[in-house]
Amino acid sequence: MGETILRVENLRKKYDSAEAVRGISFAVEAGGFFGLLGPNGAGKTTTIGMLTGWVEPTGGRVEIRGMDLWARPREAKKLIGLVPQSFAFYPSLSARENLSFFGRLHGIRGKALEERMALVLGIVSLTDRADQIVDTFSNGMKRRLNIAIGLLHEPAVLILDEPTVGIDAQTRSAILESLKKLNLGGMTVLYTTHYIEEAQDLCDRVAIMDRGKIIALDTPRALIHSLGKGIIRMEFHEALDEALLGQIATYGSLTRVDGQKKRLHLETDQTGLVLKELLNIKENREALFKSLDVMEPDLETVFIHLTGRDLRD
Amino acid sequence: MYPILAILVKEGKILTRDRQALAILFAMPVFFILVMSFSMEGVFEAGSRARPMEIAVINRDRGLLSREIIAVLKGVEGVVLVEAVNGTPLTLERAEELVRGGSYPLALLIPEGFSKEILNFDHHGAEKATVSFIHDPGTNIRILGGIKGTIQGVILRRTLLAALPGRLKKTLAGARGAFSPPGFLPSQGQEKEFDALLAKAILEKDNGPEIAFLSRSPRGQATGRMPSATEQNVPAYTIFGVFFIVLTLASSFIQEKKEGTFQRILAAPLSKLSLLAGKLLPYYLVNLLQIALMFAVVVFFFDMKLGNLPALVLVSLALALAANGLGLLVASLGKTEAQVNGLSVFLAITLGALGGMMVPAYIMPGFLKTLSLFTPHAWALAGYQDVIVRGLGVPQVLPEAGILLVFAGSFFVLALARFRFR
Repeated sequence: MGETILRVENLRKKYDSAEAVRGISFAVEAGGFFGLLGPNGAGKTTTIGMLTGWVEPTGGRVEIRGMDLWARPREAKKLIGLVPQSFAFYPSLSARENLSFFGRLHGIRGKALEERMALVLGIVSLTDRADQIVDTFSNGMKRRLNIAIGLLHEPAVLILDEPTVGIDAQTRSAILESLKKLNLGGMTVLYTTHYIEEAQDLCDRVAIMDRGKIIALDTPRALIHSLGKGIIRMEFHEALDEALLGQIATYGSLTRVDGQKKRLHLETDQTGLVLKELLNIKENREALFKSLDVMEPDLETVFIHLTGRDLRD
Repeated sequence: MYPILAILVKEGKILTRDRQALAILFAMPVFFILVMSFSMEGVFEAGSRARPMEIAVINRDRGLLSREIIAVLKGVEGVVLVEAVNGTPLTLERAEELVRGGSYPLALLIPEGFSKEILNFDHHGAEKATVSFIHDPGTNIRILGGIKGTIQGVILRRTLLAALPGRLKKTLAGARGAFSPPGFLPSQGQEKEFDALLAKAILEKDNGPEIAFLSRSPRGQATGRMPSATEQNVPAYTIFGVFFIVLTLASSFIQEKKEGTFQRILAAPLSKLSLLAGKLLPYYLVNLLQIALMFAVVVFFFDMKLGNLPALVLVSLALALAANGLGLLVASLGKTEAQVNGLSVFLAITLGALGGMMVPAYIMPGFLKTLSLFTPHAWALAGYQDVIVRGLGVPQVLPEAGILLVFAGSFFVLALARFRFR
């Protein structure tokens, strides 16, 4: 067991009418890559806000390397690097000017600041654009600068809130590669996303959040192994008769049947066998089937299994 | 046609969703019309039958002529003469106090022995009878000019009429025997000479008493000279300009909220108070530079006298603080850029108008005059006028600077209680 660098205990946030985060607890080990996975509105951004001193919790505790964030904010915040979901910098300044400003906020000055700026600009491949006004940057470049600012003061924990939203595949892949390298270099990363592949590919531990709660927490492999089942999604041109519905139900568990009985989700441990049976039915009643697709067990099917909903619902 | 309709409906929905911005959009012109109409009424109607100007009168003369002048002035439209307050006849000291306090824009002093000087004029080199106008140096010259002219006209006409018999008597006595047949009246062919003699009797300077009109400030605020129009107007323009920082400052806060930079800054090891202080300080300095530039321009181009510099700096420091406080308050009240923009412009114009930036507060109707005291603009203007046109120093502007600091403090307290970084 490594050192616990971030510990969250029974963290809650209640706004006027709604409880955005309802008592979540988890711990992140030094050097870990921890993912918070959940649909939009699950409470991930509010959680990030509470982990970085931006949103005051209604209850609970956040400890960074044993220091209570809300009791000793100055010391604790030195250990955190934040990459918010929005482009949180000044578009009328150059990349270098932005970095210099945020570096100074963290008390970095002079030669040390120059060196750090050069290093992070290199990490995000913006060295040759350092003196360009940020407003002229593409979305991908802005995302990279957003990350560079978070890295500038060598934080012990880098907290990223959906850092790949709204960018092209190439930039996304470059960003993910950079994050992997940083993590391999020893930096602890806490990462929120609603992209399954990112969470599976990057994270050594994942907490699945839904409606303000953590509904599952483990390594992606363990989650998929224990909770992930294959899901076969079917759509029909007309409502299924009771006989056929009953027959399909014998192949697994029907987790979703719409009111018109035209859409079904069937969960099974044996997707191959069940698919064969279904294709037999399809052969006889070709006109009935509109679509049929198979989801192999992954974090998405884990989420569907736990909530009955898609991550992107 | 359909796409236009769709865009129209969409815009309508968006507009009506931001109700605060919409309210400002409608309230601003209504309020502006009310304030400007009420106050501008003062400019165009000051000294008219609808809005007569009250003038304090101290008549130290016991003669017939001054009584007659006052009687005629009482009949002049647009002028109300006040000879007594609460049943007590005005003394010079009391009248000066009232002018100094802004109760009356002008006091008229008729000196002791005035009637006698005019009616019994009989020697060369006699001293001029001096009538004094006492008014605050800050009072608008244009508005005062018309009233002073009317009063001077009445005094000169009545004086000339009163002195006429004496003038004629003196001239004709000198001409005794000049006309043929001997007597006062000219014979045929002598009318021209006689007319010239009469004109000389009436118009010749040395033939009758002379009147001097003196304008001065009440004692205790005399600058030794009357201010120029530039000196009177520049403080108001300066204050008006200073409060436009509200828009720049509040918009910048909204921008930071929108961009998410506050979140990132507050993830760094610094307090919210440090963030606010760092954020406000540049705007405060900009305000001070703005004031310095405006005054430098008028000194350079119009040779304006700024008066006591430490006092000017003191008022400027307090004024900029009040403007910044108001900026933060607007930032704490507005949630969208539209709201902040609307509210800033609304406040800049209406507070400016109420505070006497466009129309002097002393010619506003009573309720607006009272309302103007609840604007920082009015106090800043009083402070600047104390320094620039009344020639006062630091101790005398402490009350104005103090009240501006109270405004600033109240704005900051209210703003901090409401301000959200998100």
